[in-house]
This record gives sequence, C-alpha cells and structure tokens, in this order.
Amino acid sequence: MNKPSTTTGTDWNALDNSSFRATVREFFETRYPKDLRYPKRRLRWAEIRDWYLTLSQKGWVAPSWPSSYGGMGLSPEKLIIFIEEQERWGVGRAPDMGITMVGPLLIHHGNDAQRADYLPKILAGEHIWCQGYSEPNSGSDLVSLRTEAVADGEHFIVNGQKTWTTLAQDATHIFLLVRTDKQAKKQQGISFLLADMKTPGISVRPIRNIAGSEDFCEVFLENVRVPRANIVGELNKGWTIAKALLGFERIFLGSPKQSQYALARVQEAAQRLGLFQDTGFVDRYTKLALDVADLGALYGRFIEQVKRGETLGPDVSMLKLFATETYSRLADLLVDIAGSSGGMPGDIALPGGKTDVLTTFYNARPATIYGGSNEVQRNILAASVLQLPS
Amino acid sequence: MTTPTDSERADQLNMLRESALGFVTKESPLHRARALRHQAPGYDRRFWNALAEQGWTGLLVPGSLGGYEQGFAEMAEVAAALAAQVAPEPVVPVLVFAGRLLAHASTTDLATRLLTELAEGRTMPAVAWQEQVTGAQDPLDQAATRLERAGDGLLLSGGKRHVRPGAGADGYIVSANGANGLALAWVPANASGLTLSSQPLADGSYAAQLNFNSVRLPAGHLLAEGPAAVAALARAYDETLVLSSVELLALVRSMLAMTLDYLRTRVQFGKPIGSFQSLQHRAVDLLIQQELTASVVSQAVALLDDPQADATARSAMASRVKARASDAGLQVAREAVQLHGAIGVTDEYDLGLYLQRALVLAAWLGNGTLQRRRYADLTRNATEQEHP
Repeated sequence: MNKPSTTTGTDWNALDNSSFRATVREFFETRYPKDLRYPKRRLRWAEIRDWYLTLSQKGWVAPSWPSSYGGMGLSPEKLIIFIEEQERWGVGRAPDMGITMVGPLLIHHGNDAQRADYLPKILAGEHIWCQGYSEPNSGSDLVSLRTEAVADGEHFIVNGQKTWTTLAQDATHIFLLVRTDKQAKKQQGISFLLADMKTPGISVRPIRNIAGSEDFCEVFLENVRVPRANIVGELNKGWTIAKALLGFERIFLGSPKQSQYALARVQEAAQRLGLFQDTGFVDRYTKLALDVADLGALYGRFIEQVKRGETLGPDVSMLKLFATETYSRLADLLVDIAGSSGGMPGDIALPGGKTDVLTTFYNARPATIYGGSNEVQRNILAASVLQLPS
Repeated sequence: MTTPTDSERADQLNMLRESALGFVTKESPLHRARALRHQAPGYDRRFWNALAEQGWTGLLVPGSLGGYEQGFAEMAEVAAALAAQVAPEPVVPVLVFAGRLLAHASTTDLATRLLTELAEGRTMPAVAWQEQVTGAQDPLDQAATRLERAGDGLLLSGGKRHVRPGAGADGYIVSANGANGLALAWVPANASGLTLSSQPLADGSYAAQLNFNSVRLPAGHLLAEGPAAVAALARAYDETLVLSSVELLALVRSMLAMTLDYLRTRVQFGKPIGSFQSLQHRAVDLLIQQELTASVVSQAVALLDDPQADATARSAMASRVKARASDAGLQVAREAVQLHGAIGVTDEYDLGLYLQRALVLAAWLGNGTLQRRRYADLTRNATEQEHP
C-alpha cells in the first residue's frame, strides 16, 4: 500500500483564493480520469481506487482534517473552493466515510491509540469505512435503533441489523451506532462502536436499487465480538457525538450543482428535440432555470455564513429541501419531454446525440429521502425556525 | 462625498431601517391604509409631505438637485418599511420609476426642475408607457402613441394604460413613436386634450387610462428620443422591477408572520392548529419561498448599486427577481388565507390588505410569467453556455 505523502505542512490557507482554486482545478483537470467524470451512479472502490491513491499521494485525500493528522487543514472557505472544483469537474465521490465521518469522529472524540491505529490507514486507502446507522425499523426515527452491544469482559457482543449501508460490500470497516443500555431513555443508551468487517458474524447483502445498481447493502450482525477498546468516546454518549458530527458539510446536501447538471441535461435534450421553439416548453424550462438560479442565490447566502466562520443553524435544512425538490422537478421534465421514450433506461438516441433520461429520475428518488427525509427536515424547520408548537 | 466602507454602509442601512420602521409603524397604522381605500386618489398627499420631511422623496435624487444621492439599498429600506404597513403612497411608481426615468433620460431645464420638485415632495410624476390590456405585447422600445412636430411645438396622439398613481399625479412621462424612434415627453396633468379615467385596483388604489387627443406641447417637453430614450426607459423599468420586488418581499414577510402567529394561537380539536404536521409543512414551503425571494432581492439591489453592472445582466436580474417575488407574493397570499380559514376571506381582517396589494404588485409591470419570458429572451444567447 502507498504511504500517505509527507508534503503536509503546506499552509493552503495562506494562499489567496484564486491561486488556491487554480491549483486545485489544474490538478483535477490533469489527473482525474476523464472517463469517470460525472458518473451516473456511486463508483465502486475498484473503479475509484486509483484516484483515491492519487489524492493520497498528493496529501489531498483529507481536505478538512487538520494538517497535524495528515489532512490539508483547509479553512471552511478553502474547503468550499475545493468542493466547488470537484463538483465543477464532475469528480466522482469515492467511498469517503473514513474521511468525512470517522476522521472527524476520532480526532474530536477518539483516544490517541484509536487515532494512531486508524487515521493513517484511512489516508493510505488501506481502510475503507461504511456507516452503520439506519436499521430496518429505524430510518427517519434513527434514535429508535435496536442493534445491541452487550458487554462481555473485554468485548462487546453485537447483534442486530443495519441497512441502507452505502457501499458496505467494498468496506473493510464499519462504524456503528449500537444500543449499550436498554434501560436508559432512547437517546442516552447509544454508543459509537468501530468494527472490522472481517469479524466473524458480520455478513453483507447488497441491495439492488431501481436503477439496477448496488449502491447500498444490508449488514447483518450475529454474535459479533468487538473489543471494548473500539468504543469511541464515552459509553452511552454516542447519540450526542453523532449529532455533533453534523458540521457545516450539511450545506453540500443543498448544493445547486446537481440541479445545474440536470438542467444542462434538459437543455441538451430540448435542443435536440427542437423544443425551444415551443412557448409552452420554454415557459416550463425557464421556471425551472430560475428555480436553479435562485437556489444558487440562497446557497450563496449560507456559504457566506460558513466563510464568516459562523455556525449553521437549523435553517440550513431549507436548502436541502429546495435543492432536491428542484432536482426532482427537472427529472420529471426530462422524462416528460422524452415522450414515448420516457420509459427507456440508458442512452436514448435523439437527433444530434444520445441522452440518458432515467438516470436523473432514479437519482432524484433517494435525494429527497437520505440525509433526513424532506418530511423530517420540514418538521425540524417548523419546530426550530418557525417556532410552531408540537 | 467620501465612499463609506462596507461596514459603515451596513451600519447606516441598519439605522435607516430602524428609523423607517419606527416612523412608518407609528405614522401609518393599518387602519390608515384601510381608510384611504376606494376613494381617489387612494393615498394622502399630506403623508407624502411627511415622507418628504423625512428626506425620503429625495433619497435617489442627485445632491446638486437637492436630493441625498443615496443608493437603491437605502431606497429599499424605505420601500420595505412602507410596504410592511401596506401604506398606499406611490413611492416606487413616483420616486423610482418616474424619478429615475427623469434622471436617466434628460438634463434639460424641465427635467432638472421636475427632479428638484420631486425631491422636495412637491411634484408627483408618473410614467405612461403601456398600451395593451395585459401588457404582454408592450415592448419598451416601441409605442403606437405618436409624437409629431407641429409648428415650433409637439403634438401627441394616442393612449396609455396601467399608469400608477392612477389619480393625483401632476404629470406624465409618456413614451411615444417620434420622428427619431422612441420619444419621451412630459405631459402636465392639466394639458388640454388629455383625458384620464381612473380605474380601481384590487387594493383600493387606482391605475389611470390616459387618452391624448392631439395634445399640444412646447418643444421643451421632449425629454429624450432615440436610443437614449430606450436605454433610459429600460433602466428605470429594471430599477422599478427590483424595488417592486422589495415591496412584495415585505408583504410576504408580513403575511407569513401573521399566519405563523395565527397557527400558534388558534386552537381546534383541543390543540393549536400549528401543531398539525400538514399545516407545518405548508408553512415551511412558504418560508422557503420567502428566503429564496430575499436572497435574490438582495443580489438584485446590490446589482443596481454596482456602477460596473452590464445593462443586459441588470435586465435579466430585474426580470428574474420580479418573477420570483410576484409568484412568492401570490403563493404566500393564497396559502395565508387557507391557513387562516374563513377569517382570512373577510375584508375586516388585515390579511386582506396584504393580499390585495400583492395582487396589484404581482401584476404591475409584468407578472411572473411575463418576466420569465423576458428573462428567457434576454438570456437566450447565454443558453448556449458551456455545460457539463
């Protein structure tokens, strides 16, 4: 395995924004594999591994981690630029739970031994993590989770089931929310536990989705013996830690990029079909184009807040709602203008080129569900922003 | 005049907001707006004088003409404060549309005099450019109304619609087809051959339909013609779209706030109705529209205050913001009524004042659909952009 680069120590934040952007852009444009730009589905580890290792060698695989842990140590402002450039170039998302979740988890709540064990291996691409949160009966109501870890000497015995676990089939490790005190009130008996996927008793079943790919899995845990040392933070404080991990990165759930990309697909198909001569279509198209533009204005306001170093409030949820619902309306329009071809998966031959219609439609479905379903987000906004009674 | 820093400007805007809200809340309670409805002119000229005493009629007017030479951000604070109380005085039609059109079009003695009087609150000019019932076919660069040379003066024939204020204006800046293309001429309200019919609007104010039956004007009443006239009208129009959006946003904020108060306090089935999830989710959708509108309004106002801004970009932004604000205004108005229930459809309840004003402002100068068509036309070439 490659060793992470030792070029850490570069103070990226000292660069002015435009030089930093140019540096990042140049690297992505020259080094990211062209055939993986704008992937239609989540890329598997075998497909994106080389890119992960390229980033690793460059010292760029963990842009948000402090440089003392091998990250780039980017300020929020620089991290936003880094992510904007990824989105702009259509850089695919690697299995990044180790970078976005486990790293910050261990840095803030882990102990020295855990940090020394795990962080370098995440950077090197040796450990691939998946997130064991949702369960068959605990989706939006995650706090009702029932996977249980019972102390047994220096181990915990884990029994239960996780589901919607993204790319578990490629993961070497899983971080779990487990119930460690059944007597305590719901939020108070939950702990964070790390497990090696090779531990006896863990089995994975990929779930085929409506788009025909296997982005997520079920993970079964049957008498899995996990060392007690794998608890992160205090026992029974897992829920508090999980909530604290929701940093300003939530803002990216509301990025306009996905909708901008879908709008470009609609525009491309409409041009091929000659629809810009049709006033009825132009009216519908322009309404959505303005929804996308105005989403950009709203997003910009929250981005400014992050750049000023302010903590995001619960009102950031409205971005996710409008972003994913705009995306969904664009997907509907794409299917609609495809007419009789609207039921054909994959590329459809239109005059002047091929257009994929259903991928956008399929991708729009989980978008309004994951990261807290849009209905749960509306509940949150109603309670904490609009101060409506419960 | 030294240019203030960003934080100084922000402080000044905060002070202006506080003072505008304080003044308007005290001097223009909702019962004042209610009482002025349905009787021409539909507003109070004495209140206009009070606005002048505050210095607000001269906010956008150059210092050399007795104004305060402030930006649109400052004008927006005043317009928003007045709209929040549904004050009926035609601040945006007179100070922004007519005032800016005079400033952009002309430096003649007449234009200078009119602007000076406007800053003092003594003259209320109005812009008359639309001719079609729906306004959908009214281009800014053409008019069927004709302006001809006649001896050493001018002769104006034709008609205009949708002129605000629809009663009590002291004169009109009229667009017409002249010898050198579009012409803008000043027509005093008492000009011979001018007839006016005031048409009632939903909010109890009026729009005028003007008829020019061979109106004779002195040559000096020609304010601008040709490309300069078109550019001046387009710019003032865009500025007015943005400031109307500021007003619509203020209405949205007021209507949503009233609705949330109602949801928190109205009890049915033994609970405040705001505890019901279906109503909560509808309220959240209104919040999203409010915040989208606010984000675009703030970009649009900043663009008006940017001296480097490109004219086409400004027009596209003006149409974009008016489209969002018009649709948000109507959506929030409809939903606010529904969430209130039957009390929401009574004239007695104040929500109606906001709904009626939203109807008028959403339609004025082009509703959401018309503005989206203008936006599409303006950005058509840019649609050939690089896309992934």
